[in-house]
Amino acid sequence: MVTEEKKDALKEVLDYLSFATDTIVERFGEKHPEWAWIYALLVDYYKEAYKVKEEGKPMAWINFGVPPELLYAMDIMPVVIDALTGSLASTGSALKYIDIAESRVPDYICANNKILIGAVLAGDIPIPDILVHPAHPCDSNLATYPVIAEYYNFPYFCIDMPYFRNERSAPYVAGELRKLVSLLEEITGKRLDMDKLKQVMQYSNQAHELILKHEVLRQAVPCPYSSLEAIAEYGLVLALAGTPQLVDYFERRYELSKDKVSRGEGHLPKAMEKHRLVWIYGAPTFDLTLLMWLEKEYGAVSVANMNNNFTMKPVEDLSNLDSILIGLAEKVTLLPMTRECGGPWENWLDASMDLIKRYKADAAVFAGHVACKSNWAVIKLIKDKLHDELGIPTLVLEMDLFDPRVASTDSLKAQFDNFFNVHFQG
Amino acid sequence: MTALEELTSLAGDLVNPAVQDWKQQGKKVVGFMCTYVPEEILYAADILPIRLRAPNCVETTSADVYMSHLNCTFIRSCLEFTIEGKYQFLDGLVFTNSCDHVRRMYDILREIKPTDFPFLYLISVPHKVDDELIAWHRDELARLKESIEKTFGVKITDASLRNAIDVYNETRSLLRELYNLRKGKNPQLTGAETLSVIVAGFSLPKSTYNELLKQLLDELGEREGISGYRARLMIAGSGGCDNPAYLQVMEDLGGLIVTDSLCFGSRYFWEPVEVGDDPLLSLAKAYLNRPSCPRMVGNVGERSDYIKQMVNDFDVDGVVFQRIRYCDLWGGQLLHLEKEMKESSIPMLSIDREYSLGAVGQLRTRIQAFLERIER
Repeated sequence: MVTEEKKDALKEVLDYLSFATDTIVERFGEKHPEWAWIYALLVDYYKEAYKVKEEGKPMAWINFGVPPELLYAMDIMPVVIDALTGSLASTGSALKYIDIAESRVPDYICANNKILIGAVLAGDIPIPDILVHPAHPCDSNLATYPVIAEYYNFPYFCIDMPYFRNERSAPYVAGELRKLVSLLEEITGKRLDMDKLKQVMQYSNQAHELILKHEVLRQAVPCPYSSLEAIAEYGLVLALAGTPQLVDYFERRYELSKDKVSRGEGHLPKAMEKHRLVWIYGAPTFDLTLLMWLEKEYGAVSVANMNNNFTMKPVEDLSNLDSILIGLAEKVTLLPMTRECGGPWENWLDASMDLIKRYKADAAVFAGHVACKSNWAVIKLIKDKLHDELGIPTLVLEMDLFDPRVASTDSLKAQFDNFFNVHFQG
Repeated sequence: MTALEELTSLAGDLVNPAVQDWKQQGKKVVGFMCTYVPEEILYAADILPIRLRAPNCVETTSADVYMSHLNCTFIRSCLEFTIEGKYQFLDGLVFTNSCDHVRRMYDILREIKPTDFPFLYLISVPHKVDDELIAWHRDELARLKESIEKTFGVKITDASLRNAIDVYNETRSLLRELYNLRKGKNPQLTGAETLSVIVAGFSLPKSTYNELLKQLLDELGEREGISGYRARLMIAGSGGCDNPAYLQVMEDLGGLIVTDSLCFGSRYFWEPVEVGDDPLLSLAKAYLNRPSCPRMVGNVGERSDYIKQMVNDFDVDGVVFQRIRYCDLWGGQLLHLEKEMKESSIPMLSIDREYSLGAVGQLRTRIQAFLERIER
């Protein structure tokens, strides 16, 4: 149970998001309803998480690469840790947690993980009933989730995935998901309700089909989407896949974009859209207003990013558990981040090249999170390929996505200034 | 020359007379990264497996063109050696997905050196252990076996695999015997000497190595034990700890290293491979179940327990937990291990380091302070 005297990170995020929603509405009114809309959905999501914990109902921590559908089908509230830590980074509270974590683990552990470690050590995040995480995409996740779970002695499950995506990977992951279902049944003391799972999967598929349809619209010139939406949506999909709320969101989202595209309108007026950026990795979670600055200063719309690149298929066969698990396995191995960072470097290269081509981008940005060792190890290869094969320049930023003390917004802006001067002036 | 002198000299360089002799016989040599590679499969093909390391690598200028300063210096040093052609004598390289740095070295080599090695392979190793995953891993090893057979035109039979397992099990048994000698009050071998012995074994045919180990054990029976040390130390932590000079710094200050939990140490050989009907299944089971690296999920506590058990068995006064900087896997383990050590009242010194032996003054200061705290 959440206690009064304890600070509660979940509540803090909830308050922050509520405040942000109100502020957006107040500041932009009807001009950008979508921004408030995303935040409002997250507010509802965290409210539900908060309520579940207060009522003592089961809660799971999950991170990217875990299908929330299975948790929803088992009436377990999935709290996406990455969305929570990302939100904490936006509130500014993350720095304190990072400092706490760094007193116990090396500073080079991912800040996303350090925020969680710090918040848990501070007692500001309630311990879940189970933690579910995938073995991909990075060592830092492996160094954090099992350690935290064994440190505090609560159950956890790792969805292992083979390194290569081939005919042996989906059955492997499906086997892992089956083990997860068994463990969830053990923890909740109840059997998986197939009817409920099918219902959840139908919602998931409906949303997914809309995502794919919408994705085609998003490629339009000018881009009907604001840079901020393109980034912020990732958390929504991770958290709400399998719920009617996500279906509703993407239905409305699709209609809005369709309307804009049919009228030849973009998020920015066509004449003002001067550059189309693809972020081939993450974006500065601690200050996403950088994206708005890019639009204003350079007419540079961030048309796509690695994390909002949901190109996998919906789960086709919902007739039985085996077919659903195989479908989910195929889906989770291709989820953004898992796909790009968890396997051979060509996965990342191919996804980036495809994104750049589809979205007709003229530059790529690598928001080089200092903790992402696997990406830093091959960014030289990626940058060279994008240049040699697509003629696209890549801005490589050394930064921490969650911690502005590594590279501040101002220093990032200065690097963008230089990048645009070098590549696009004259 | 005594066996110890011979083994110590063999540990110095990657290419030693035994490797040269092997090559002169027209036989193949394959480098491997990480102890999750089952060497027995290569050995069964009459291929000499050699563990990748980069002795005396002092700078990584060429490797840094590709990798970043945020990547571990052990892997950057190995990449440097590859680019400089120091692994040119190798006929192949085998990697695993053991960590982010290792798997990316494999990626980079495929891109920049696609034809330098006839055999460039990465084994996908599960991160967990259960019967299903062991069976899956067995099939991965079968793929490795087939790939070796195809590339090198050899046949690996069950009989040759069993023979290889026997030879390697003998190595494991002899090394445990060697470690047992270090449990006594006056061990006959320092930690630096022991590491030399272990490292030499990664660059020799195991049959030759086993003979040298037997000779060494005989010689040590007559060697005077070490006394007058200030404290008995254990080295724990990440891979890349293959330089005896690093341990020598600690021992020059009066510490005596009596055991370790390194993959260049006890975790490499601690458990034998139990041979069943299917040798590949036996290897899959044994390699996944060995005392683990934190790349494996589900046994954080076991890893801390392994260290505590070592402390108990070898009468250790303090643990030096060292990691190559940017090794997330061992960095995360620190959280759990520190708690366990505190609860068990075991002093521990936590150190981030680079692969090459630098910042010796700082290391000396920290070890000196640690020894003052724990000395007997």
